[in-house]
Amino acid sequence: MTNQQPEIQSNGPSKGGKGYFKAFRSYFSCVPMLGWLAGIIAAVLFERFLGDQISELLGLPKIPVLFGCMIMLKDFSLIPSALAFLVGVYFIPILLVGRALAPVFNGLAGMIYKISPMFSVVLHLALLYLALHLWADLSAYRLMTLKFTLVAVMLTLSLNVINGYMGEFSCSHPGFMALGAYAASVFTLVLFTNDRFFGEALLSPSMGVYFFPVAIILGGFAAALGALVIAIPSFRTRGDYLAIISLAFMFIVKSLIENLEVVGGPRGLGSQPNYASLPMVFGWTVLCIWVINNFVRSTLGKALNAVRDDESAADAMTVNTRRTKMVGFLFGAFWAGAAGGLFAHILRYVNPASFGLQRLAEILAMVYFGGLNSVHGSIVGAVSISLLGEALRPLELFKWIIIPLLLILVMIFRPTGLIAFKEFNVKQLVRPRN
Amino acid sequence: MTVFFQSLVNALQWGSFYALIALGYSMVYGVLMLFNFAHGDVFMVGAYISFIVATALTALAAAGTIAIPGWVVLLLTIVCAMMLNAIVGIIIERVGYRPLREAPRASAAITGLMIGIILETGVLAIMGAQRAKFPSLIQSVTYDVGGVFITNKKIMIVLVSIVLMLALDQFVKKTKWGMAMRAMAFDYTVVPLMGVPANVIAALTFAIGSGLAASAGCLFGVAYPVLDPYMGIVFGWKAFVAAILGGRGSILGATLAGFLLGFIEIFVALIFPSTMRDFIAYSIILLILTFRPHGFFGEPHSARLRL
Amino acid sequence: MPLLEIKDLSIRFGGLQAVKNYNLTMNPGDIRGLIGPNGAGKTTVFNMMTGILTPTEGQVLLNNWSIEGFQPYQIAARGIGRTFQNLCLWRHMTVLEHVKMACYSKITYGLFGAFFGGARRKREETQMTNKAMDLLALVKLDQFADQLVGNLPYGAQRRMEIARALATDPKILLLDEPTAGMNPEELDQIMEIIRLVHGEYKMAILLIEHRLKFVMELCERIQALVFGEVIAEGEPEEIRNHPQVIEAYLGKEIEY
Repeated sequence: MTNQQPEIQSNGPSKGGKGYFKAFRSYFSCVPMLGWLAGIIAAVLFERFLGDQISELLGLPKIPVLFGCMIMLKDFSLIPSALAFLVGVYFIPILLVGRALAPVFNGLAGMIYKISPMFSVVLHLALLYLALHLWADLSAYRLMTLKFTLVAVMLTLSLNVINGYMGEFSCSHPGFMALGAYAASVFTLVLFTNDRFFGEALLSPSMGVYFFPVAIILGGFAAALGALVIAIPSFRTRGDYLAIISLAFMFIVKSLIENLEVVGGPRGLGSQPNYASLPMVFGWTVLCIWVINNFVRSTLGKALNAVRDDESAADAMTVNTRRTKMVGFLFGAFWAGAAGGLFAHILRYVNPASFGLQRLAEILAMVYFGGLNSVHGSIVGAVSISLLGEALRPLELFKWIIIPLLLILVMIFRPTGLIAFKEFNVKQLVRPRN
Repeated sequence: MTVFFQSLVNALQWGSFYALIALGYSMVYGVLMLFNFAHGDVFMVGAYISFIVATALTALAAAGTIAIPGWVVLLLTIVCAMMLNAIVGIIIERVGYRPLREAPRASAAITGLMIGIILETGVLAIMGAQRAKFPSLIQSVTYDVGGVFITNKKIMIVLVSIVLMLALDQFVKKTKWGMAMRAMAFDYTVVPLMGVPANVIAALTFAIGSGLAASAGCLFGVAYPVLDPYMGIVFGWKAFVAAILGGRGSILGATLAGFLLGFIEIFVALIFPSTMRDFIAYSIILLILTFRPHGFFGEPHSARLRL
Repeated sequence: MPLLEIKDLSIRFGGLQAVKNYNLTMNPGDIRGLIGPNGAGKTTVFNMMTGILTPTEGQVLLNNWSIEGFQPYQIAARGIGRTFQNLCLWRHMTVLEHVKMACYSKITYGLFGAFFGGARRKREETQMTNKAMDLLALVKLDQFADQLVGNLPYGAQRRMEIARALATDPKILLLDEPTAGMNPEELDQIMEIIRLVHGEYKMAILLIEHRLKFVMELCERIQALVFGEVIAEGEPEEIRNHPQVIEAYLGKEIEY
């Protein structure tokens, strides 16, 4: 997730041509992740303390919320000032701090890495969190967007386990998400909230925050249980069978919830307690990425790839194919459920309509845009599609033409997605670059 | 008992929409092994094309001095819409699917999904958000057969669908092109080597599927005159389920499964509260697929998503 | 007690009797050949021995353990390793990952280790990597360990398959036409590897082959299978001169 920012920056001035871009890249290749993070933090701090003045100077109504996209699309005359803001507040500080202090950060990163790579990873995550926190602190909209993006990362990654690593075509992710969202919501609403549906809180509401992870895990297990219902019949045979079974399952879940008056039926379920703070969502996302990445890098997890590429060969090489498929599917479903639980507590309202075909199209788009069989890819896909969705909001209808067109182009030129079939090596990422 | 027969008539009508759309899915799935997720929206585009054609034709008829009977207008509308929508289908194949012929099938499915979204948005942008009112081309006549009300529209819809399905069946079985299609369904890789142009067959498959979807759209407009750009989504996905339920590439299977889906939906709504419709319908489908994993007429095949 | 005992193995596909009353007894360290024209049912025998096909009659005993009712992966884990006639590779995996994957049945770190890592997983993964690298060194592929299999030349892919089969720790190794489509140079390499495996690991090997010369040179005893039935069995020299074998391979001599 951390290598996002620098890529976005380096895209800006790259229009001059490939050679120019290469030179630019090699000039900055010595900057370690630590340097980029420090640069980002510097830029965010810069925006925090001088953002208002700078935007006033440039004639912008306020600090551009989402990298100026909204402002640019709403009022074309403000494009130069928004771009200037972007360059002045983000690009230049990040590049400057990153490049100028590269030797320092390289030394530092090397030192920390020598102590313990794990410690280095944790430190990088802490810095990343700091950067995100500072950035999101500036407006409630940013915070919301950030949280939903993180949830989207979880969803994308978990679907990638099934559609990418395992090579099936599952359409039931919104269903799993709904199961998780409702299970987690009911848990917190019954136990920790005075609610009009479920009455008085059974436990003291002040304890709720500590039990929130339990709610999320419960949501995950609810989804995994649902996945079991699909897995038992569908893994006996092969082919496009799972696609249709999972689609039917998604409709069943949605319709079931619509008919359950206990959880509000089609009107939905609201007023979930405000437990999904940014650290909570960030923590779960990191946990999700870590566990999934762990899994797909182990031989046990790579068995998914073996089953996908040639099932009978996997069978002959002692791989328990049925168990492998089952584990992969339930595992993916678990994280979809967990993401659903978080989603419900971020929005603090869920209704069955939000777990329909549109959600399915969105998650599928993120997975295939980013790239199959790759953790990088899922992160890139989820972040770019989520942010693009928000950034192009002022275009209204045309947003729904631009994003699909973009995806079609990606599919035509890179049929497995932007960054497919690549291993995600965190330790490599935090290494010093010299 | 009258309620039962009344529902039967309704289910026949409802099922013919599903069947006509499912046929398009089934054709593409059978011949090219692709999920054409844009097909539901192709149906919607077909409905809008027929709406435009019908409106134009009625306006023309009103302007002229000779009165053209409504059923002639309707027939013209269906034929025009089918042809125009076939062109839409060919364009979609050319733009969205042909470049992805060698790509993983899942990528093509995603492209289809995205084309669907573009079609929805495009229609919304062109036609506006307010729902379009399909002109009533034929006077509705209701026959009372022993307490069961049958309208001439319903008879017409069911008849037209059945005629189209039979025509398709004959086309695939008897003509040279149909045979090439079946050969391609049998083995995609070999057919081009036999001198059958794969691209032409693919385009033809899409054209036929889209044409059938347009006929469904037109008939839908006759039965339920209000159109909106998102009407294709639910229809499309349900027809997709029906197509798979019928078995890969089976015309008879897709038809029967389409009608079955119509029957299940209507009769479930009759017995249970209508909100339970999807729940029960899909549970039944899940059960059927558990025991007949390859659908009604599908043969077991071990094709997987080519990754 | 023999290592492998196959008694009256038969299979019928509809009306077609693909294999009829196939018998074989092998002791540890035996190296046997199974020859026959295309469609004789050689691969079908392998598929029955590895549990991919269920025989209509007969049984396969490995150390007196009947494979009946077990899944292919269980049979493989018990010690019947195999290669495939047409390469069955996982095209998105590296050579090393292929060989490691075949150690699947020996993984004990379980899902907990897979999800959360830990010392045990690290240890086992390292062990597997070492073992895989040893096997790759045996087939002279260790320098390509990190390549995707698709990047290897055909002969190397074949050798990789042998290493992969060996990684399952088989008691008996089934090689399905290991030299199919190879040039003479690659042929020699394969021959050397098979000799090495046989000599060093004292492994029992059953070989399906088309190239008579290759089988004759390697195997101690040979069976000839024609239309699902063993028509001849014996030492290479006997088989070479067996009239029915000659007939099956060269056709009947037309007598005027």
